[in-house]
Amino acid sequence: MKKIPAAIICTIIFSVLFCCCQKEMQSENRIVIGISADIESLNPLYSFSVNEGNITELLFLSLVQHDWNDKLGDMEAVPMLAKRWDWAADSSYIVFELRDDVRWSDSIKTDVEDVIFSFDVYSDPVVESRLFGTFKNFYTDKDDHIDLNKTFEILSPNKLKIKFKPNSVPNLFDLDFPIIPRHIYEKVNRKNIQTNVNSNPVTNGPFALVKWERNQSIILIPNKSSFLFNPESIKELIFKIVPDYTSRINQLKNGEIDMTEDVKTDDIQDLKNTGNLEVIPIKGREYDYIGWNNIDFESFHRFKKIIPNKLFGDNKVRIALTMATNRREILEEFLGNYGEIAFSPVTPIFRNAVNTNIKPYDYDINKARKLLSQCGWKDNDNDGILDKGKTKFSFKLIIPSGNPRREYASTILKNNLKQIGIDVKVEKAELGVFIENLYQKNYNAWMAGWSVPIPVELKSYWYSDLERTPLNFVGYQSKEADMIITAIEKEKSRSAKNELYKKFQEKIHLDEPVTFMYWIDNPVAYNKRIQNIDINPIGFIHHCWNWKIKQ
Amino acid sequence: MLELENKTVIFMNSEFIILIIKRFISSIIILFLLITFVFILIRLAPGDPSQKYLSSKLSPELIEKVKVSYKLNTSVTEQYFSFIGNFIKGDLGISYNYRKPVTEVISEFLPFTLILSSVSFLIQIILSFFLTILAVKKVNGIFDRFLSKSVIIIYVIPTFVLGVILIYVFSIKWNILPSSGVKSYGNDEKNFFIILFDYLQHLILPVITLSLGGVAVFYKYLRDNITNVYNRTFIDFLRANGYSEREILIHNVIPNAVNPLISVAGIELGLLLSGTLITEIIFSLPGMGRLTMDAILSRDYPLVIGCTLTASVLILLSNFAADLIKAIIDKRFVKGLA
Repeated sequence: MKKIPAAIICTIIFSVLFCCCQKEMQSENRIVIGISADIESLNPLYSFSVNEGNITELLFLSLVQHDWNDKLGDMEAVPMLAKRWDWAADSSYIVFELRDDVRWSDSIKTDVEDVIFSFDVYSDPVVESRLFGTFKNFYTDKDDHIDLNKTFEILSPNKLKIKFKPNSVPNLFDLDFPIIPRHIYEKVNRKNIQTNVNSNPVTNGPFALVKWERNQSIILIPNKSSFLFNPESIKELIFKIVPDYTSRINQLKNGEIDMTEDVKTDDIQDLKNTGNLEVIPIKGREYDYIGWNNIDFESFHRFKKIIPNKLFGDNKVRIALTMATNRREILEEFLGNYGEIAFSPVTPIFRNAVNTNIKPYDYDINKARKLLSQCGWKDNDNDGILDKGKTKFSFKLIIPSGNPRREYASTILKNNLKQIGIDVKVEKAELGVFIENLYQKNYNAWMAGWSVPIPVELKSYWYSDLERTPLNFVGYQSKEADMIITAIEKEKSRSAKNELYKKFQEKIHLDEPVTFMYWIDNPVAYNKRIQNIDINPIGFIHHCWNWKIKQ
Repeated sequence: MLELENKTVIFMNSEFIILIIKRFISSIIILFLLITFVFILIRLAPGDPSQKYLSSKLSPELIEKVKVSYKLNTSVTEQYFSFIGNFIKGDLGISYNYRKPVTEVISEFLPFTLILSSVSFLIQIILSFFLTILAVKKVNGIFDRFLSKSVIIIYVIPTFVLGVILIYVFSIKWNILPSSGVKSYGNDEKNFFIILFDYLQHLILPVITLSLGGVAVFYKYLRDNITNVYNRTFIDFLRANGYSEREILIHNVIPNAVNPLISVAGIELGLLLSGTLITEIIFSLPGMGRLTMDAILSRDYPLVIGCTLTASVLILLSNFAADLIKAIIDKRFVKGLA
């Protein structure tokens, strides 16, 4: 017995393992979604990331939810916890009637007290929730904490009146966030609400949490007591964390996962060729841009003085730079045409808000040269680089590391600009370092992207008050644009708002504070066995309680 | 019997105990310096944990509030002394990402890393030993030459390539092993053996990926050492005195050949225990490597310190264990422990 070689023993062990191998098969009623990173919290107060938002919305109901109306090319509110609502004619208040069949997972009824408590907690400065500071249309104290007495009036156990500040322009987006259970959260010291309410939530949404295994998976099952429960729908929804992209694609191919997003365009055809996978792009939520610092950041830092940037301070120069950048080439070669050329921060998904009269600047080196020449940029010393006085047109372009698309685009840009006599040195920066420097306005030129919020938000990015708008990294300042942004905020009519958006796009197209590169599609790949799937600009797991499995 | 008594004497020796105490104190100093260095370095690096709040809804007031709540508004020196004060009390702080005490977060991830690393380490040692013994039976024979070439090829293949190849072959082409995770869904309520088999299946590919490089290294070390020992004259003397090849191998060759290997094994074990990032990413495993990397990228300062401390302790312990083993084998090494 002793003489049996170890190799044989090993072979036997491996054979047993292989024979007992029960390959993780696709369950008939289980959908597995591959995501690249674990979430940090299931507490809706702190669901900062997209995945956290998606999952907490499945666990907690909002008063209303916003759906995508493709015919309208816009969002529309649909009832959730509230079964109906009535606005006052002057929008000074709204009355919600709540459903009376919604219960928390511990069987306690969801009522108006939960709603009031949620507003209280979300706006509490001690809590520092993701929505703190955003309740501008409500009566608040000096710390931005909602004044409950002035704001809420309970009309009946199911009816709640919410009153808004005079001259404010409230909308249902202000009210679309997950409601939390008062009887659970009120027991917790608000200072410790981040740490004490997280992994085992009491919920009332269409799904309930079964298990959250850190860095492994989040397992949900339909909530049978929910009014959204559909007995013919899926029996289990799993978010599986697979950090490596190649592994996600391989698992999609062999059926270990059913769905994933952010598929590279190179893989789309290959996935389609498998026969059982479909790929559909989500349109227009993210764009790349090249940031040209409009102001001289040294003067800004030292003296808080705004003077135009010596290279990029002139809008004609910025337009010339856009004209000299072959965006179409990047879109075709790298993105496989999954996207479209951008000319403003207003996403093309809002069809009625997009100014169709504006055409993106074409790639035209001669026009770019002419514009630069008009601005005084000429190659006076014949060294191949444009100069103006003693200043050479030479700069560093910073890109965040680990982003192949921007690395590719920066190479194209460098070559494009070289043709018109501009010297570009591309440098990479670690993401944390990159963001910190953007906040400090330390970069002259960089390439980055924005994932745009819905509804359209302009003030944070394009308003002139640089102290109040930390995301205006380029230091763009325009009184006309400010007036339009302020008018948009005050406007109640959707059509009038759309006209203002169009006007803003005209202004931004003229000023070209950044080079808008392209809107990037987010290709979502899924197994065709999933039916009733609705992929729209809001996302791909929207209304997943209606998904069915093809028998 | 006499050998065993000698080894016991080493541990009972007061000189040895003093050396252990010295080693312990030097380890504490190393840990303290390391933590100080990491603490200062990560806080001086640009960026802070409030970056994850980057959003159009974020007001400048909230940014400030977040920084205050993370105690980032105080100087690095103040933060350091506050940290050291808590550290001495055994409090590593609350992880910004997980919103739980750092020790609790690490205790969730460490067991998996310990299991994976230990299994991989044992496989590396056993397999390399087994292959070496087979190879040196006929030095420069076909098997020896084949192995010598193969281990070089295995050694130069990067882990991520090896992992992807294994997944492609075993998970995609043959479809016989799972490609990621540590267990299948829906197995929790099944019997113990099914759950155990399920875990083992999930560990096969990661363990192979993690182990092959180490097997190659250990094999090269062992094989070269064993052939060197065989070339020494005392082996001829033993043969001339009628000792069998088996006796010579077990009692003379191996004890003389393993010493350098133990040092390498100590380092390898330490590295394995401190996290195996690439393997964890490829196979979606919840280990210390991913935890540390995520903590660094998201500037989760308390967790970075906690992970560094854990990794350092494990590396120091494994090296110390290696030194102890060497001391047991060779008494002359006791002095080197200090």
